[in-house]
Amino acid sequence: MSIIEVVLMLVKIVAVILAMIMPLAIMLTWADRRVGAMAQDRVGPNRAVIWLPTRVAQGAAVGPALGVAALVAFLAFGYLAGAGEPPTAEARATGACVFSHLAIFMTWATFAIISGLVVNRGARSSFDLWIKGFPPRQIVYIGFGAHALAIVLASAFSGTEQGLVLRDWGYGGGAAVLIFSILFGAGYAAFAIRNEPRVGLRLLGLPHAFVADGLKTLWKEDFIPPNADRFLHSLAPFISFFPALTVFAVIPFGDTLCFGADARGHLDITRLAHMVPREGMCTAGALRLQIVDLNVGILYFLALAGTGIVGAALAGWASDNKYSLLGGLRAASQMVSYEVTMGLTLIGAVMVYGTLRLDEMVRWQGENTWGIFVQPLAFVLFFASAVAESKRIPFDLPEGESEIVAGYFTEYAGMKFAMFFFSEYIAVVSSSALLAVIFLGGWNLPFLYRDGFHVAIGGAAIWDQPLSHGFVIVLGLLAFMLKVVGLCWLQLMIRWTLPRFRYDQLMRLGWRKLLPASLVNVLATGLVLMLVQSSEGALATSLRTLCDVLAAVVGVSMIGAFVWLVVFLLKPTRKRTMLASSSAQFAAQMGGTHTARMEA
Amino acid sequence: MSAEPLGPRKVVGTPVARPHRTAAVQTYVPEIARGLGIVMSHFFTNTKEMVFGQRPDPSTESVEAGINTVSYPEQKRPYPARFRGMHRLTHREDDSPRCVACLCCSTACPAQCIHIEAGEYPEGDPRRGYERFPKRFVIDELRCIFCGYCVEACPCDAIRMDTGIHAAPYDSREQFIFEKDLLMSFTGRDGSTLTQNPRHEPADTTYPGVTREKGH
Repeated sequence: MSIIEVVLMLVKIVAVILAMIMPLAIMLTWADRRVGAMAQDRVGPNRAVIWLPTRVAQGAAVGPALGVAALVAFLAFGYLAGAGEPPTAEARATGACVFSHLAIFMTWATFAIISGLVVNRGARSSFDLWIKGFPPRQIVYIGFGAHALAIVLASAFSGTEQGLVLRDWGYGGGAAVLIFSILFGAGYAAFAIRNEPRVGLRLLGLPHAFVADGLKTLWKEDFIPPNADRFLHSLAPFISFFPALTVFAVIPFGDTLCFGADARGHLDITRLAHMVPREGMCTAGALRLQIVDLNVGILYFLALAGTGIVGAALAGWASDNKYSLLGGLRAASQMVSYEVTMGLTLIGAVMVYGTLRLDEMVRWQGENTWGIFVQPLAFVLFFASAVAESKRIPFDLPEGESEIVAGYFTEYAGMKFAMFFFSEYIAVVSSSALLAVIFLGGWNLPFLYRDGFHVAIGGAAIWDQPLSHGFVIVLGLLAFMLKVVGLCWLQLMIRWTLPRFRYDQLMRLGWRKLLPASLVNVLATGLVLMLVQSSEGALATSLRTLCDVLAAVVGVSMIGAFVWLVVFLLKPTRKRTMLASSSAQFAAQMGGTHTARMEA
Repeated sequence: MSAEPLGPRKVVGTPVARPHRTAAVQTYVPEIARGLGIVMSHFFTNTKEMVFGQRPDPSTESVEAGINTVSYPEQKRPYPARFRGMHRLTHREDDSPRCVACLCCSTACPAQCIHIEAGEYPEGDPRRGYERFPKRFVIDELRCIFCGYCVEACPCDAIRMDTGIHAAPYDSREQFIFEKDLLMSFTGRDGSTLTQNPRHEPADTTYPGVTREKGH
C-alpha cells in the first residue's frame, strides 16, 4: 500500500462522513419536520433566521455568481488568453451542446423566477413592469420551445457547412449568454434588495435544524440521574452511534475509478482513464469508491446493526428509571426479533448473487437486472424490518411517548440525547443505502455501462451514446444518491402516514408474518434457482430479454416521473375568491393576509 | 304492564353487514399504499404552492380541492366586523370620556370586572347634577368574559368593544388591569376615538336635560 493509497483511504472516509452521512442525517432531521409540515399544510420549522446586513446579502448573491461566470469564461474562452490549447472539433461540438442548452435553461429559469416574484410581490422597478407582461408559465413554454429548436437545428444541420458555423455560434454565443444570465440573475437579486434594512437568511428553515437545534444541544446541561450508572449511562450513546456510522464502511457508492499507474505500479491520481471498455475491470490504478471491500460485506453490516441493540438496552438499564428500562427492554426484543427477519431475507439475495460482497452484488445487478425484480418479496420484508430496526414510527415502541415518556432515552439530555436522535436518522440513511445497493442496483442506471449508454432489447440495438469514464462514474454517484434520498424520503412518508403498532401486534408481525414469509422466500428462491440453472439455452435467452425489458420499464418510468413532475409544476392552481364574510372583506381591504411575511 | 318474554330480546331492524375481512384488508398493504398516496399528494401540492407563492389567501380565497390553512401567527385572519375585542372608552369632541359614570355597565357585568369611581363636576358647571364623570375606570381584562353586556347596557355609547384587538398574553396579572387612560387610547377599527352617534351637550336643543331645565 503506497502513501497515496493511504491518503486516498482517509479522503474516502472523510468524504463519506462529511459529504454523505452527516449532511444527509441533518437534512433528514430537517426534512422530517418539513415533510410533516408540508403534508399537513403547516408552516413548519421556519422560525430560525440569520439576519444579514444588506451589503453582505448582496455580496452573497453576486460573489458566487461572479465566480461561476469566471469559471465558465475560463472553460469556454480560456484558450484565447493563452491558457491551454484551443478545443478540438469534438470538444467544440460537446461544448456547443452543453453551453447552448445551459444558457437557454439559465435564461428561462432566471426570467421565470423573476416574473413569479413580481407577480407575488408587485412591481418595484421599470424592469419589473416590463417582465410583468410575461407570466412565468409563458416564459417556461418559450424556454421549452427554445430547447426544442436548438435540438432540431443541431440535428438538421449536423455534418454540413452551416452546421460548423452553427456549432461555433452555439459554443461562443451559448457561453456568452450563459455568463450573462448568471450575472443578470445575481445582479437583479442584489438590486431588488438594495433598499431592505437587512435580509433574512431562512433557507426554507434549514438554519433551524443546523444552527438552532443542532448547536443548542451542545450548550445544554449534560444531566445524569443521581443513582444512574455514570459510566454505562455515558457509554450507551456512543455504542448506539458508532455502529450506525461504521456501517457505511462497506457500502459501495460508485463504480471503480480507473487511473493510470506510475512506474512502480502505484496509482497515479493525475491520469484518469478517458474511456474504459464495457467489460472487465481496470488492472493497475483502480480506486474503489468504497471504504473497504470486505469479503464478508453483508455479515459485517448485520453484526454492526446488532451492536446497536446493546446501546439502546444499556441506556435503558443504566438510567435508573422504570420507563427507561421498559423502553430498553422493548428496544432489545424488537430489534432482536427483526434482526432475524432481516438476516433471513438477505439469504435469498445472497443465493441469487452468489456473493457476500456488496460491490459484486451491484455488478451482478448491472449485468442482469435489479434485485427488486428477482427478490420482490425480500425487498418488502427487508424494508419493513429496516424501518423496525431504526425504531421509527410505526415501530417506535421503544420510545412510545404516549406510554413510557420517551423510552430508553428518557434520562438523556443535550448532546447525548442528540446522539441517540442522530443515530436513528443515520440508521435511516444506512438502511436506505443498503436497500439501494442490494435491491435497487446501487450505482447502476438502466442501459448505462462502463463506456456509456447502450440501449438494446434482446440484442437489437436501439441507441448508443459513448461517454467518458469520469462522466459515467459521476452519473453513477448521482444515481446512487438519488436512490438513497428517494428511499429516505419514502421512510419519512411512512413515518408521517402510519400510526404506531401495539406491542403484541409488533411481535406478531415480526415472528408470525415476516419470519415465515422470509423462510418461504428462501425456499422459493432455491427452487427457481434450481430451475434456471438446470434449464437449457432457450430459457436463458428469454430471461436475458426479460432483463432488458425490465431495464426499459425502469428507464421509461423514470422519464415518465420526470414528465409528470414538469406537468404537475406547470398545472395552474385554480382559486375561487369569496368575500361573503366581513372578515374576508376586511382582509381584501388590507390587501389580503396572503402577503403577510413570515417574520421570526 | 305487559310481561317481558324470557330469553334473548328479539332484535328489530335491518341487520348491518359486517365489513368483510378480505385478504387486502387483513394484510393492510393496499391501505398503506393508499395512505402514502394521500400524504404524498398533500405534500407535493402544498410544497409546490408554497415554493411558487400560489398558496391561496386563507380568508379571501379557496382552492377547489384541498385544505386552506391559516399559518397563525405568521398569517392572521382579520376578525369579523362584530368581533368583540378589547374595550375602549369613546371620546367626546373635546377628548374627555363620554362616560357619565352611571355604573350601568359595572352593574350589568356578570363577571364584575368593571370598577368605576364617579366624580362630580364642579359647582357652576351646567352638567353638575345631570351627569358625573369617571375619576377611575378600571377593567380587569383577565376576569372579563367578553359577553358584551357592558356595551349593551351603556346609555351613552361610551364603552365599546370594536377595537379589533384580541386578548393578548401578558406575563403578569397587573398588566391585565386596564386603566382609564389606556382604555381611552384605543381606537375603533376605523381608527377613530369617537363614535358615529352624536353626543348631546347641554347647549344643544337635543340635550335630554332640556325639558327638566325648562320646567316642563
